[in-house]
Amino acid sequence: MKILVTVSEVATVEDAFEIDGTTIADQYLGADLNEWDDYAVEEAVQLQEADLADEVVTVTIGPEDADQTIRQALAKGADRALRVWDDDLADVGLLDPGTKADLLAAVVDDEQPDLVLSGVQTGDDSFGATGVALADRVGYQWAAVVNHLEHEFADDTASVRRELEGGVEELTDVDLPAVLTIQTGINEPRYASLRGIRQAQRKPLEVQTLDDLGIEGVDSALALTEMYEPESETDVTVWEGGADDTAGDLASLLREKGVAQ
Amino acid sequence: MEFGLTDEQRQIREEITRFAENEIVPVAEEHDVEESYPHDVVDAAAEMGLTGAYIPMEYGGAGYSILDTAIITEELFAYDPGIALCIVSTSFGCEAIMNFGTDDQKERFLEPVALGEKISGAAISEPDTGSDVSSVSTRAEKDGDEWVINGNKMWITNGTVGDFFVVLCETNPDAEGRYNGFSQIVVESDRDGFSAEKITGKLGIRASDTAELVFDDVRVPEENLIGTKDAAFMQQMQFFDETRTAVAAQGVGIAKGATRAALEYAQDREQFGQSISEFQAIQHKLAEMATNTEAARNLTYKSAWNVDQGEDITKLASMAKEYASRIAVDVADEAVQIHGGAGYVNDFPVERFYRDAKITQIYEGTSEIQKNIIAREMLGKGF
Ligand SMILES: Cc1cc2nc3c(=O)[nH]c(=O)nc-3n(C[C@H](O)[C@H](O)[C@H](O)COP(=O)(O)OP(=O)(O)OC[C@H]3O[C@@H](n4cnc5c(N)ncnc54)[C@H](O)[C@@H]3O)c2cc1C
Repeated sequence: MKILVTVSEVATVEDAFEIDGTTIADQYLGADLNEWDDYAVEEAVQLQEADLADEVVTVTIGPEDADQTIRQALAKGADRALRVWDDDLADVGLLDPGTKADLLAAVVDDEQPDLVLSGVQTGDDSFGATGVALADRVGYQWAAVVNHLEHEFADDTASVRRELEGGVEELTDVDLPAVLTIQTGINEPRYASLRGIRQAQRKPLEVQTLDDLGIEGVDSALALTEMYEPESETDVTVWEGGADDTAGDLASLLREKGVAQ
Repeated sequence: MEFGLTDEQRQIREEITRFAENEIVPVAEEHDVEESYPHDVVDAAAEMGLTGAYIPMEYGGAGYSILDTAIITEELFAYDPGIALCIVSTSFGCEAIMNFGTDDQKERFLEPVALGEKISGAAISEPDTGSDVSSVSTRAEKDGDEWVINGNKMWITNGTVGDFFVVLCETNPDAEGRYNGFSQIVVESDRDGFSAEKITGKLGIRASDTAELVFDDVRVPEENLIGTKDAAFMQQMQFFDETRTAVAAQGVGIAKGATRAALEYAQDREQFGQSISEFQAIQHKLAEMATNTEAARNLTYKSAWNVDQGEDITKLASMAKEYASRIAVDVADEAVQIHGGAGYVNDFPVERFYRDAKITQIYEGTSEIQKNIIAREMLGKGF
């Protein structure tokens, strides 16, 4: 089985920062592997360690700066990496999930993976749509917000547990090939080992342009028009007294707020 | 001349930052207060390969250079020196095995350390033998095909948690010259006649295990002798450049961590209606701390780089060790000062850095000994 993991580099921001127009000044920004993708990579590597997968390939849409982040996934055990980039993409600015899905679909066509793992969402843009949009483009089955995957693929199906609204979970079988969007907590991502980091430097990282993928021109349906910090409100309720007297009050408040049922 | 780090070195640093923030920082205070060895953290570090970074790949390590190892050491010590020492010391003594051991010894001893299954230690100091290493009196006598060892070792890092120790023993009291007649012999902690007693009440690096070892007719097979009999000093001298550079890196890490903590606190704390970082007196402290740390780092990296080139750099390694440890102590002192009263209690990490820093001026040759060496080299005197 071949697994393709879509990974992105996300922007991280310091606690205190300043917004300048529609950007945050560079000095407050860092970059990291998207948290959800870290879990997706771990899941793929575990499948490989269990001899269920033969090859784990990662794919990223991003500029050369993202190489360092991609190598994190290689250091954790992925076999090789693809990075899609083109000057045309740099000019577009904010890519919408549909456009990303088009680019990734071209990669899926080339690679023909049996399983595509993507994160549920990215930590910065939080669209939460790329994985399922990709499944639609390539005609794969899909399951979104997967928080458990059986490490057994009897009859070419993946048995998954998905998170639904309100704390409900669903068990479902998905025919391969499939796209699963991976939720945090599905596993415990490892740290890249020193040996892994060393080996990652020698693993292939191939760059593909739009030409290579046979895509002509891209544009995005989205443009960033404004950036601001939302007002945050805190609403605190304090009950005086011991647990015996106050637990009931707490329970009804949690029910009222929709946190508990 | 290149001053930049490679992508790989930057990646190592970032991964260690992640590891330290998640695994070390949350438990640092607890292990300091309780003087307890952080077994769980060391196990997690072993999984990541931090415990045998410089051990060659063929023996399960990562095969990292002395410069890489210095970067790892610096980064770990910037978060918590006590736990950091537990991690980097798991292979103490192994440099002798790596450089002078037979293939069989490397397999027996290096591999389990690299894989995190075993912890080693280096046992040189004794109750009456500190700076003057040539006065070692722990005796190893040959009996058939075994060595029989008697004596005491003092201040031994990993003493009660270690699985084996590379012990400096006198094997030929009649040898001529004060540096001849000593050998390095591996003693496993499960041998009959071996015992270790933990030393408590340390000023700093309290998570690290320190103990007195007693050898009472301990018998080990003759295959446990590392390298050449009676030539331990010549062997040991070759690692001083390496081990002193490593302690220099510890000092750089402590200075870096203390500076970071002080910078953060200075920006948060307000007095006289403004952030204390607005006061020039505080700004100048921060500027000096950062500049001195950078100078110590450059000396340390230069020393490490030269060791990697195979150069003999006795003087440079001693300079790096002496200077970086002094800067660690000075910077930690200023970091506490910037915290005021808050720096005097363990609500903030600087109190720990202040106590932890001091050891870097004592072990692996005191500051006075380092200066003796630097001057001796300058004056062209042999040892
Ligand atoms: C926490 C801790 C961990 C340690 N871990 C280990 C370990 O793993 N293995 C190991 O073998 N040892 C270890 N040591 C021992 C350490 O290396 C010694 O403490 C150190 O070498 C100093 O020896 P000493 O304590 O006997 O001091 P002394 O040698 O008695 O020195 C006392 C003072 O006299 C000064 N002095 C001595 N000789 C001279 C001279 N010729 N010129 C000028 N000044 C001089 C010293 O600089 C110092 O200021 C550890 C020590 C500590 C505290």
